[in-house]
Amino acid sequence: MSATLTIVPAELSPKGIARLTNFRLIPRVDTYPAVVSFAQMVIGKLVLLVLFGLGLAYASTDWLILILCLALMTFLPAQRRILVTISTLLFAFVVPWKFFKQPFYSVVLIALVLTLAALLFWCATLWPRSWYGRRPVFVFLSSFSLLIVIVSYIPQGTKAYQLVWDLTIRLSVYIWFICYSLLDRSSPSRDPFSLQLGSYRPFWGSTNTPFAKGAAYLRRIEARNPEQLAVTQLKGLKLLAWSILLSRFLEGFNYCAAAFLHVPQFSEALRLSANRTPLPWYHCWASILVGFFGSIISVSVFGHRFIACCRMAGFNALRNTYRPLSSRTIAEFFNRYYFYFKELLVDVFFYPFFLRYFKKQPKLRLVGAIFAAAGFGNAFYHFVRDLGFVQKFGLRGALASYQVYLFYCFLLAAAISISQLRHRKPAPSGFIRGQLWPSFLVLLFFCLLNVFGSTDRNYPLTVYFRFIGHLFNLSL
Amino acid sequence: MDHNVEVREFFKGLLAIRHDRQPFTDSTSFFLSGRLSSVDAVELVVFLEEKYEIDFAEVGFDQSQIDSVEAVGSLLNTVKAID
Repeated sequence: MSATLTIVPAELSPKGIARLTNFRLIPRVDTYPAVVSFAQMVIGKLVLLVLFGLGLAYASTDWLILILCLALMTFLPAQRRILVTISTLLFAFVVPWKFFKQPFYSVVLIALVLTLAALLFWCATLWPRSWYGRRPVFVFLSSFSLLIVIVSYIPQGTKAYQLVWDLTIRLSVYIWFICYSLLDRSSPSRDPFSLQLGSYRPFWGSTNTPFAKGAAYLRRIEARNPEQLAVTQLKGLKLLAWSILLSRFLEGFNYCAAAFLHVPQFSEALRLSANRTPLPWYHCWASILVGFFGSIISVSVFGHRFIACCRMAGFNALRNTYRPLSSRTIAEFFNRYYFYFKELLVDVFFYPFFLRYFKKQPKLRLVGAIFAAAGFGNAFYHFVRDLGFVQKFGLRGALASYQVYLFYCFLLAAAISISQLRHRKPAPSGFIRGQLWPSFLVLLFFCLLNVFGSTDRNYPLTVYFRFIGHLFNLSL
Repeated sequence: MDHNVEVREFFKGLLAIRHDRQPFTDSTSFFLSGRLSSVDAVELVVFLEEKYEIDFAEVGFDQSQIDSVEAVGSLLNTVKAID
C-alpha cells in the first residue's frame, strides 16, 4: 500500500496541483512592492500608459482618444469621476460621429434619451414616497414595454414611424444603465446625475449590459490613494495583456478547428440538420463544442478589455469572466461566465422578487426569484436588445420567433433552481470527485444548453430538438 | 451573543463552503472584492431576516449594506434604532 503511495507522480499530488493552479502566465506584478512604488511615480505612470496604449493600439480602433482620457484620469485623480462623464459623453457624441449615417439626427436622439434619463432620475429622487418613487425600475421597465407595444402598431409609411422606432431603439440601448441609476436613488451617498451619466455606456466600452454596473458600484471601487491607483492600474495592464493573449489563442483555435480538424460551424450543422441532411453525430458534437468554447473565449476577450480600461481609469472592478471552466455548479458557471450580465439580472429582477414575495415559503421564494431573473429577465433583456425583429416581423411575429430563446431561458432557470435547492455543502475531497467530475457535468450541461441559446430566430424549436437527436445519432 | 460574533461566524461558514480559509477582519469586503457572490448574499439575507427580523423590502436593499461584518453591524444598529 505504502509502495503504491510513493509512486504517485509529483504532478498529481496536492502540492503539484497547487503549483499548477498557482501558475501564472502573466506575473503578478501588482503584488511586487518595487513595481507598485514605481507605478506611483510620474515616470512610472507614463510607462504604464505607454504600455497600455500599445496594447490598446493592438486591440482597439479608438485607442488614441481612449488613452488620452485615461492619461487625464491618471494625472488628475481628484477629478476622476467628472472626467469619466466628460470622456463618456465624448465617446457617445463625438467619437462615433463618422460612423453615424445621419450624425445630427443620431446626436439629437441620444441627447433626448439622456434627457429622459435625467428626468426619470430626478423624479425618483424628488418624490421618493410617490407611486413612481417607490418602484421606479418597475414603472420604467413596464412603461418601456408598453412603448414597444404601441410603437409596433404604428403603421409603416407614416411620418412618425421611423422617428419613433429610432428613438425606441436608441432608448433600448440605455435602459439597463438607467435602471442602475434608479436603483441608486435612495442611497445616502447617491451621486448627482452628472456623475451617473459617466456610467451610461462608459467610455471604456460596454455592451447593452452595464460594464462595472452603475455609479454606485464605481464610487465603491474607486482607488482612494496613489498606492491603490497603482495596484489597480497594474491589474488593468495585466488584464489587457491576458485579453490580447486570449484573442490570439481564439484566432488559432478557430483556424485549427476549421482548417485542420474541418469542424463545421454550429450554424452550418444546424442548417443541414434542419434540411434533414444531418452531419454525422460526432461532427455535430464537434460543432457545438467548438462553438461553446469559442463563445467562452470571445466573451472573455471583450470583457477583459473593457474591465482593463476601467481599472486603468482607477476603478478596481471585478473581471467579467473568471475561470468558468472550474465551476462546480450550474449557478457558479452562470456567475463566472458573464458576471455583469448575471449581476444585472440579480439587481433588477432577482432581489426585487426575493425581498417581496413568498417569504414564508423559502423554496418557492428562491425558485420564483430565479425564474424572475434567469428566466423572465434574461428573455426580456434579449427581446429588448433585438428590437429590430419587432420592427421586421411585428410584435406577434417577433414573439413567435422567440420560442427557442424562451425555451433556453426556461431550461436555464430550471437548472439554476435545482442547483440552488440542493443543499450547499463543501465539495467532496479529491481532485477528480471534488473538481473534475462536477466541472465536466456543468460544462456538458451548458454545452448542450447553448444549442438553444441562439437569438438569430431562423428556425422553430422543433429543428433544435431534431439537432439534439442527431447528437445522439437519433433520426427524429 | 454579540451580533458581530454571530455575523462573523456566518461569514466564516460561507467562506468555508468556497474553500476560502484566508483570514478576514470586520472591515474586510466580501461581495465587492469577489470573495463571496450574490448566491452567498441571498443566504446572508435569509439569515438576517430570520435571526434579526430585518425586512429588506421595508428598509431597502443594497449589497454594500452587507459587504462586511462592520457593514452588517451598522445595518443592524440602524434597524434597531428605527424600531
